[in-house]
Amino acid sequence: MNSARKQMITAGYADLPFGIHSQCKADCVGVMGVPSEVNTGPRSGTSLAPDALRKMTAQLGIGLPVDGRDLGNLDLSGDWPAALEQLVTQMVDHGVVPVVLGGASDVASGVLGALPDLPVVAAMPLARRDIATRTANTIWVGLNGDQPAGVWDLISQRKMDWRTARQLDEGHGDYSDTPERAVLWIDISVIDLGHAAGSVGLNPGGMKPETLVSVIGAMSCKWQAIVITGLAPARDTRGMSELAAIETLNAALHNE
Amino acid sequence: MSEAAQIQFDAIPSFLGASIGDLEDLVPGQVAIAGYFCDNLARPSAGQRYLARQLRYASCPTVTPANAIDLGDVNVFPLEPDKHFLAVASQCESVLETGARMVLVGGDSSGLEALDVAARQVTGADVPIIGVNGGAVSHLPRTQPVILSVDLQELAGKWVSHPHRLTGMSPAQMIAQIDATPGDTIAAAVFGLAPELDNRGKAETRAALAILQAVTARLEKGAG
Repeated sequence: MNSARKQMITAGYADLPFGIHSQCKADCVGVMGVPSEVNTGPRSGTSLAPDALRKMTAQLGIGLPVDGRDLGNLDLSGDWPAALEQLVTQMVDHGVVPVVLGGASDVASGVLGALPDLPVVAAMPLARRDIATRTANTIWVGLNGDQPAGVWDLISQRKMDWRTARQLDEGHGDYSDTPERAVLWIDISVIDLGHAAGSVGLNPGGMKPETLVSVIGAMSCKWQAIVITGLAPARDTRGMSELAAIETLNAALHNE
Repeated sequence: MSEAAQIQFDAIPSFLGASIGDLEDLVPGQVAIAGYFCDNLARPSAGQRYLARQLRYASCPTVTPANAIDLGDVNVFPLEPDKHFLAVASQCESVLETGARMVLVGGDSSGLEALDVAARQVTGADVPIIGVNGGAVSHLPRTQPVILSVDLQELAGKWVSHPHRLTGMSPAQMIAQIDATPGDTIAAAVFGLAPELDNRGKAETRAALAILQAVTARLEKGAG
């Protein structure tokens, strides 16, 4: 077996060694795949995302700016959301930054459930009620299209910080009051389908991939957990969506 | 080359529709374009070796450069790296010794290394390699021999079928930088792209062809 092939089997995401969460040290990352599948809508394929991301980082020789372990994929039999919540809690308690590669949006619910008091930076086209009603204000990145009226009222009343995809693409990405610590949720559907087709959501007029990378990279938050959802790699033969996820993750971890 | 032989070769696709010739056809100042069919030595990535063939097929004879010649592919020995490197450097040296300028097309960056050795051998001095990477253009005397390194992996992800990164240069930015290269460009290597060989590779092939055209024009100009 040649060395490149062997490396693809033995190394995890971004060449991290495979391991278990107790091997992760404080201030390191624990990368975990949660290959859940969307169960609504015509577009699916999120279950392929964690392994596709591992494969692309290996092919392109992309590394992470921080040390850590790849914890493999979560077993989705049984009550996996509870298992995910427990794992995230354990990692955060030990100072490890969980990086969770979904999966569908239910993966993010599991991560956010473990950290109920922290603010969320949510990159997604449609604002969600379950995020808007959290204790701490959410920062919205890349909203696009009609927003649910009730959620929009909530965002306005609580004076949450938000930017539309267009504002961000036009360079208005300076968030006035970013929290010191937060959870980052990137739903790949925030990216315009024309730039990167591998998402489960259709989002014409969404963000450019490079804008997402620069906006997240410019935030000075210390991320307590990062979750990526909505990536459907088989729908993007060029791999731009995977590349967007990988580069955004690297930009986010640059401040760690 | 005899007229009969030239007529036979007319049907063969060549870089930018340039005439096909051999070493003995070269004259000083002419631009010799050669394919480099090797992508397993430096920054290996399978498929880069097909770029030369793809660009020949995609070349349109209506934009034929006035002073260029397609030399065919240089002989390569990709499974014997030492022999390969000596052979490629020696062939490049033979071309540069005629006073012609040389463009190596396709493959990985190992072609550039061989070109560097050959240029050093022919000029008797180190020849600076100027990369087309969006950086500031250095100031060099007009007569300073230089080698142009055109790494197509510097293109932004949206221009290629298998992107390596999101951000990067557009073909127009690359061409502008090639035009502005200082010094006396005696050689160039255009490499780093593994083109899709069907319709999906149309955009990147056209971009690479436009870049090759700019490189050839820059070499035809000589001292900048």
